[in-house]
Amino acid sequence: MKKTLQRRWQYWINRRIPRSDRCRFDRHSIFILPTGAGVLFGVLLLVMLITGINYQNSLIYLLTFMLGAVFVAAMHQTHNNLSGLELTLLRPGEGFAGDDLPFSLRIAADHEAQGIQLSYPDQSPLTLTLSRAEMADGVLSIPVRQRGLFTPDRIRIETRFPFGLLKAWSWLRPETPAVVYPRPIRPVHAMEAVADGEELEATRISPGQDQVELRPWREGDLSARIDWKRFARNGDMSVADWQGEQGSPQWLDYDAFPGVDRELRLSYLASLVLARETAAQPYGLRLPGLRLEPDLGASHRARCLRALGLFGFERQTGSAVTAAREAVQ
Amino acid sequence: MSRARSWLRGRHRGSAAAKSEAGTLLPTRALLWLLAGFLVLLTPQWDRLPWWLIVACLLLAFWRWLAQQGTVRLPGRWSRLAVMVALTVAYGLTVRGQFSVDTAASFFVLAVGLKWLETRSSRDFFVLFFILTYLASVNFLFQQGILWTLVNLAGVVILLVSLQLLQGGGTGASLKSLRRLAVMSLKTLPIVVLLFVFFPRMAPLWSVPLVSSEARTGISDTMSPGDISSLAQSRERAFRVTFGGDIPAHRERYWRGLILDRFDGETWRQWQTEPQLRPGRVALDGGVGELQPGQYDVLMEASGQRWVYALENSVANSDNLRRAPAGLFRLQRPADTAVRYRMGLSETGALSRVDPLVAENRSRYLQLPSGTNPRARSLAEELRASSESPLALIGTLMNRFNTEAYHYTLRPPEMPDNSVDALLFDEKRGFCAHYASATTFLLRAAGIPARVVIGYQGGVSGAGGEYLIVRQYDAHAWVEAWIDGAGWVRVDPTAAIAPDRIELGIQDAMADEGSFLENAWASPERYRNIPGIQWMSLQMDRLNYNWQRWVVGYQGQFQMDLMSRLPGNIGLRELGYITAGVLGLAMLIAGVVAVFRHHGGSRRDPAARLIASWMRLLEKQGVQVPAGATPDQLARLTREHQPRAAKPAGNFAAALNSHYYGPSSTASARRTALSQAELKQQLGSVRRAIARRRNG
Repeated sequence: MKKTLQRRWQYWINRRIPRSDRCRFDRHSIFILPTGAGVLFGVLLLVMLITGINYQNSLIYLLTFMLGAVFVAAMHQTHNNLSGLELTLLRPGEGFAGDDLPFSLRIAADHEAQGIQLSYPDQSPLTLTLSRAEMADGVLSIPVRQRGLFTPDRIRIETRFPFGLLKAWSWLRPETPAVVYPRPIRPVHAMEAVADGEELEATRISPGQDQVELRPWREGDLSARIDWKRFARNGDMSVADWQGEQGSPQWLDYDAFPGVDRELRLSYLASLVLARETAAQPYGLRLPGLRLEPDLGASHRARCLRALGLFGFERQTGSAVTAAREAVQ
Repeated sequence: MSRARSWLRGRHRGSAAAKSEAGTLLPTRALLWLLAGFLVLLTPQWDRLPWWLIVACLLLAFWRWLAQQGTVRLPGRWSRLAVMVALTVAYGLTVRGQFSVDTAASFFVLAVGLKWLETRSSRDFFVLFFILTYLASVNFLFQQGILWTLVNLAGVVILLVSLQLLQGGGTGASLKSLRRLAVMSLKTLPIVVLLFVFFPRMAPLWSVPLVSSEARTGISDTMSPGDISSLAQSRERAFRVTFGGDIPAHRERYWRGLILDRFDGETWRQWQTEPQLRPGRVALDGGVGELQPGQYDVLMEASGQRWVYALENSVANSDNLRRAPAGLFRLQRPADTAVRYRMGLSETGALSRVDPLVAENRSRYLQLPSGTNPRARSLAEELRASSESPLALIGTLMNRFNTEAYHYTLRPPEMPDNSVDALLFDEKRGFCAHYASATTFLLRAAGIPARVVIGYQGGVSGAGGEYLIVRQYDAHAWVEAWIDGAGWVRVDPTAAIAPDRIELGIQDAMADEGSFLENAWASPERYRNIPGIQWMSLQMDRLNYNWQRWVVGYQGQFQMDLMSRLPGNIGLRELGYITAGVLGLAMLIAGVVAVFRHHGGSRRDPAARLIASWMRLLEKQGVQVPAGATPDQLARLTREHQPRAAKPAGNFAAALNSHYYGPSSTASARRTALSQAELKQQLGSVRRAIARRRNG
């Protein structure tokens, strides 16, 4: 019974507040109720009224009515504090499953707005004050458990200003999903050597390695890729080139973990991406149906991680995925 | 991910709290205002509370303040308990088991004081806010003057400001909060007034007296020599009177309160003791309607006694009075608060009609302690022998007082034994109580039934001459004698000795001696030659009097009377409907205003306004601007029009883009979004760059 009610309530709210990255709050979307303190304040007014009646004290009546009027006026103040505010999701956060994702939000106010609280269920709220018509940016961290696309159900915006006796609140229901990378897990067996940057270096520069193909130096090759030992020996400027062959240490390959569960593979790959990035070794990523050429750097890293995060979601249709795709590009 | 907390323009609530080291989470300024509210709300109680309680409250509040500063720590559980026990024991010793609203209120103040020691969270803050607000209404039980009302309301305003500062997390401005509160109060004032007028004043639900026993300044039901002269040094107000007709002359203003008819040689008492009553509150329904000629309203200050004061030949015109013997009146319960009652003046002679002297009473009014004051007794015998009628005897006696060197003084000598003899023959210096006592003694000794009357005599006009103010120093004692055929006749020896006292008042009577209010340096009466002070004091009194009558006294019958003048038959039930109607209407108006305002369209995106004014700026320069141009387009147009403005225009466009679409991902600055004012500044530099061409 309670669940049904709750579902209906959720449904009603979701219909009232459609998904959008930008929401301007007005009386259609703002909810207002007294806080616990507000309820107690009501009880206090009642007690005061009874005192006034019992002691036939006009001044207590007067004080009670004044405070009651202030309470009602506060209702409007609290409502107006939120009304006219525009909350925008600037960028959905990106991060690893299990972490808190930073969601960049912006509040633009056409009036002074004090004590605006942004919160997500079970997270500590963030308070900010706009001392005049202006805007403020902030980052709300939202915990995410699962890899893939994540759309926060509702980001709550609340204010208790001015007295804390009433709370007005509403929600932003963002449209743009965040891309959640797989949780990085270090591969334990097969690829252990590859995961370790130092060892990898040792294998790479030793001559006669099967996987390593040496080719003459061309202009534009990274100096890190030059086999300096060979150069010292015979003066040939040779460059280690892993391009091409499967299983070469330059490639992080989905198929390199036979028998491992899909999610775990992705986690391994994510871990490897991070390791390569730390060791500043170029890497490419091969997933079924996707191939990212070897490279190095923050944007490459992000592209790879996004690809890992979104792997398997391509089959889904809908604007959310398209939007996320655009973000990957 | 702590960087998630990096707020760019907002402030995290925790950061302010983290600064305070006392383990408390409250913003200092909010706490400061709450403390100030406490101090302000404590002041109306200063004369009622035991001194140690006030000191304890101040210390406890100070402790809390030091803890906020980090100087000391808030007490732990055990020391808190120790403080609590110590103060409660002290309270128990002071109160000694009496229960009344007064003692309960003291305990309440004690509880508020103790609460300071455990105010750590915002939850505690709210609890303190609530109990302090209630303290304000408790204050109204004891102080209802207009100044105290203002002090109390100021206290509540301070409390509300402190709440706003708490919500602002320490960022809010006190002045702004005050202004917001003022606007709120002004907007809701009409509703408050309507509610005050129409809210039905119901009958009390239960009745607990406000005060159990309290020594108040005022007339008591015994009179020893010197009692009244101590009252003469107090300028506290006893009561105020409004007359329906003309105000009687000063010498006619004898306000009778009590009859003292039993003398033990030293003290005069009442023959009948006052009956013990179940504790309860005084009835406040003091008569309604326009005052008719011959009627008068008395607003008596809280006296803690049942007796009231009335002119001779008065009848009760309000329901809260009971008739008592000897033409006197009583309230049903002691006046624990200011109470208004209405009297009417009847035909002359009513006094004797209501209180005929029956045979058994005659001996009562002739009672004298045996063996005292022999010289006075022989004087009485002498007078009786030489006078042909009681009236003639009284005339002779008054003449004696008038012609011989009797002095009316506020500094009478001690007369411990045979006080009447000492006064009449040796000292010849006394106050009204001495002469009233001696006269009654003489009359009784001469066989004329007589009694001492105590009450007040005189009273000065309030501002505008609309009403009389009678103060404690107008307290007076005089004599009534029974004359067969005429009834009870007033005999006032003071009038014979010091006519100024009766004609003008005590201040003039004591002008030579300089003993009037000799210890009250601050009283305006002392400076009545300086016109401003006296005038101000009277104006203040008038304001207070009207406040008491029309606002404080707006209760029960008074409201019904006002309603009966409105069309329609308005009773309590109708008042209830009206109240509900007022509330409903207020909500409706507020709702309509709110809806209207939100549709008003003034709430446009602030940046959009800036873009619009940029467009207007270009159009004024004769540039064709397409409708709905983006900031980049506008920047291009500006550059084409005036190359020198290219840089500010580009910056402005970038800032606007950043406003709408978020900062570029490479922005390293923490302040990514520009404020409205900064955007405006940029527009200003664009404008200047364009304008420079015109000048150059």
